[in-house]
Amino acid sequence: MQIRLISFGFVLLVSWSCKPEADALRLLDELVVSTNYDTGADFGTYATYSIATDTIGFVSNAHPNDTIIVQSSQNTYPRVVLESVESNMDNLGYTRVEKDQNPDLRINVYVINDFNLFQQIVYPSYYYPSYYGYGYGYGSYYAYPYVNTYATNTGSLVVEILDLKNITPNNTVKVIWSAYMGDVYSTIDLIKQSKDAIDQAFVQSPYLGI
Amino acid sequence: MKIYLAILFIFSCLTVSAQESYFYLNWDVNVPMTNKDWIGNSSTRGAKAGYRHFIGDERKFAAGVDFNWSYYQEYKPTETFQNPGGAITTDYFNEIFQIGLVVSGQYHFPVGNREHFFPYAGLGLGANRNDYSVLYNIYQDQESKWGFLARPEAGILIRIGTRRKLGAMAAVHYDYSTAGSVNYDYNNFSNVGFQLGVMLMQW
Repeated sequence: MQIRLISFGFVLLVSWSCKPEADALRLLDELVVSTNYDTGADFGTYATYSIATDTIGFVSNAHPNDTIIVQSSQNTYPRVVLESVESNMDNLGYTRVEKDQNPDLRINVYVINDFNLFQQIVYPSYYYPSYYGYGYGYGSYYAYPYVNTYATNTGSLVVEILDLKNITPNNTVKVIWSAYMGDVYSTIDLIKQSKDAIDQAFVQSPYLGI
Repeated sequence: MKIYLAILFIFSCLTVSAQESYFYLNWDVNVPMTNKDWIGNSSTRGAKAGYRHFIGDERKFAAGVDFNWSYYQEYKPTETFQNPGGAITTDYFNEIFQIGLVVSGQYHFPVGNREHFFPYAGLGLGANRNDYSVLYNIYQDQESKWGFLARPEAGILIRIGTRRKLGAMAAVHYDYSTAGSVNYDYNNFSNVGFQLGVMLMQW
């Protein structure tokens, strides 16, 4: 009888003292915003930028043939995030121009989906080709150490600023600023949280601006 | 869960076969004493169990093993961390999951007729593991460390009736562990614990 009582108490105690899950609502009600920049870049020397109007990039190992997300009546996400980026750039004093008007900066916006989760510090010692053709045919590279975060069945919204003013002789461009915002697949309110995250990305980057 | 049940089975067998011994199972509430900026909240999610065997006929000295686990958690509101090449903004949870196993010895102070109350003081020495985690959105960073554990303890055993083998137990203990974390600024980890529970005695 006493053994049973102890056993019951043991099970009860284990049930109570087992590791509880953290409050998911608190964790998921805002995106993690990570920004990195080229400390050698002088953001005051740039005046104009270009950005897509209603299309953002899409990189997914689950859907390798889909490379863009297009604004539509069913999917208003592209325009929301693009307008949010544009609004922040305008507030900083930059002027948006068309891509054939020789802009100083190019802004890429894309979503990374369905990668394995890991974090890695990457040091700028290599070049890689532009992944979906928004770089005007240029390759691009990072000029500063940064942290990459990838996750399977999850996704990050990424905003990159490319330096078109200082294109290297072999047609590559520097990524002089980037923002990673995640996770966009577990959000409670995707549109609001994405807009808030983009605003926060610019707030925590006071070196941007003319 | 399997390991807990295995431990329960072992202790149950010991209590059945051994003489002049006791098995206990306690709820363990712990208050962290180290780096309280990282986690300052007390842990109510913890337990401590053990088996102790009396040495000699006078029930003064005992020795045994103690197993414990506890779980600390604290929510941190949104903040921005600046670094030389950028910044990161998030809210997050800091967590520590702790398990320990010590070999312990106790001295029981003679009180009254030595039938109902057995106050004691003791010391446990062993090892423990601390898992330090930071949870932010769906992401998690973790560092796990093993270390040496020293645990002075004082408490009391209360036998409810001379014919009953079930009793109550209360104790306070101080844990000092070398299982610190460089990443989370712990040179070591210490806590004060308050435990309350039942014991099953064999005498």
